[in-house]
Amino acid sequence: MTEPLISLKNVGKLFGDGQVRALQDVSFDVRPGEFISLVGPSGCGKTTLLRIINGLISPEEGSVTVMGKKPEPGPDLAMVFQSARLLPWRTVSGNIEFALALRGHDKVERRSRALALLGAVGLRDFADAFPHQLSGGMQQRVGLARALAVEPKVLLMDEPFAALDAMTREVLRKELLQMWARRRMAIVFVTHDIDEAVYLSQRIVLLRPRPGRIDEVVDVALPEPRWEIDPRTTAQFAELRTHLWDRIHAMARDGEALEELASAFPM
Amino acid sequence: MTEESVKPALADAVRPRPGTVSAAQLEARGRKRRQRQDGLVLGAQILIGLSLIAGMYLLNATSGKLFMPRPDDVLAQSIKLWSNGTMLRALGESLTVLTFGFLLSAVTGILGGALLGGFHYVSRVLDPYVNALNSTPGAAFIPLIIVWFGLYTEAKVVLVWNAAFFPILINTAAGIANADRDLVEMGRAFGAKRASLFWNVMLPHALPSILSGLRIGAAISTVGTVIAELTMAQSGLGGLLAQAGNRFQMDKYFAVVIVLMALGTAITAALRYAERRIGAWRVTT
Repeated sequence: MTEPLISLKNVGKLFGDGQVRALQDVSFDVRPGEFISLVGPSGCGKTTLLRIINGLISPEEGSVTVMGKKPEPGPDLAMVFQSARLLPWRTVSGNIEFALALRGHDKVERRSRALALLGAVGLRDFADAFPHQLSGGMQQRVGLARALAVEPKVLLMDEPFAALDAMTREVLRKELLQMWARRRMAIVFVTHDIDEAVYLSQRIVLLRPRPGRIDEVVDVALPEPRWEIDPRTTAQFAELRTHLWDRIHAMARDGEALEELASAFPM
Repeated sequence: MTEESVKPALADAVRPRPGTVSAAQLEARGRKRRQRQDGLVLGAQILIGLSLIAGMYLLNATSGKLFMPRPDDVLAQSIKLWSNGTMLRALGESLTVLTFGFLLSAVTGILGGALLGGFHYVSRVLDPYVNALNSTPGAAFIPLIIVWFGLYTEAKVVLVWNAAFFPILINTAAGIANADRDLVEMGRAFGAKRASLFWNVMLPHALPSILSGLRIGAAISTVGTVIAELTMAQSGLGGLLAQAGNRFQMDKYFAVVIVLMALGTAITAALRYAERRIGAWRVTT
């Protein structure tokens, strides 16, 4: 058993002067090189968890460690957002160089590394274009290249493909799997797409909403590499997705039951 | 793997197909249409200009030269004022006041705006004072400026600074305070500290806003310059204006007004150009 890369213990997070509980008693580990997905309906605190792991916000309760330390934004972690979040006044290459500059790379090295990374995501010809000249899918590729450029131990991804069209999404999923197979950093992937989670990850943390807490942790033991052996037609895949959907439907029923209870006893 | 997804689409768009119009033909048509439109606009503009001149002649003929000078008298006066150096000297004096006042307000306005926009505490503390001073008509400060700085160039520069400072300050502060939260979070996620966020994310994001503040400030600076030259020791173009007006030399007066018009237009056009150049990334298509 290897030492976990990321470890969350009884994490709780409150918002709005403690009036809204976003997360309650969330505990899980991420092992080095593991692809783990956080899945759940909206309001279950997926993005909040990601921001806690990144060190952008800290939890009120429990503890988080990344490589044994309190997480802080910096060299070991990189984030890919739902929208690419590129600096519009910088070129594609300039955007990647920005992230590299924060890591203290010198100017010449920044440029060559940025170009290498753009080559890896197939955008070398667009190095000197501005973000607004690129399609949404291409922008998201730049966002991925920027995150990979800093060679993180952990890649945090916040619904990175949710805003893309179905075809681009499918292509980028395959590319992500290939990239992960080559580099083997740990990936924490937030999505609300069950199929995507099962297809990509080795483990799925299913979250319940209001307050966000863990419903179940599911191992996904599908054969690798999945960009070659597409698991989505197998019985095992269908079984997993049915199981996850059953849990989510059960959550929805609980939610309705709670709401009925609440209206039966008006405060 | 990604080239395929991009290239075929481009190739399809460029390759001419039988029965369709080629790209070059389409471009030629578009160019022709634009030229025709440009011609119509220019023609209408010339027509309006000519009728203004004709209107001046008409008013001159019906109401006399005190009411409206003859355009050719204005032209003759312009030539005279330019050739004997009067206009050039006046322009120089005005430009000195304008330039120093504007530069002073630009530097202080941008620095102050960065402070207000970047530090929430500072902006909360100073907000009522900024509002109060900004809401006071600039002319209200003229007596105070005269008492403190006298009647000459320094006082005029201070008046111009006072007029142009607030639009620059407020635009800069707003631009920096409204920095894109998503981009700031992105910078933080990659480990950017406060200073780096300010220089690499917030300030570039605010640049278009700062530039429009500068443009407004420059326009107000010309107004401030003329007001200073009219109300303090008469000098420059404003002084010339007062001189001509007081003696009812309307042809001379008009010659000065034309120079002021050209000056204001040139300054605004230059800053608009800078704005377009620097804010080019804002174009989203």
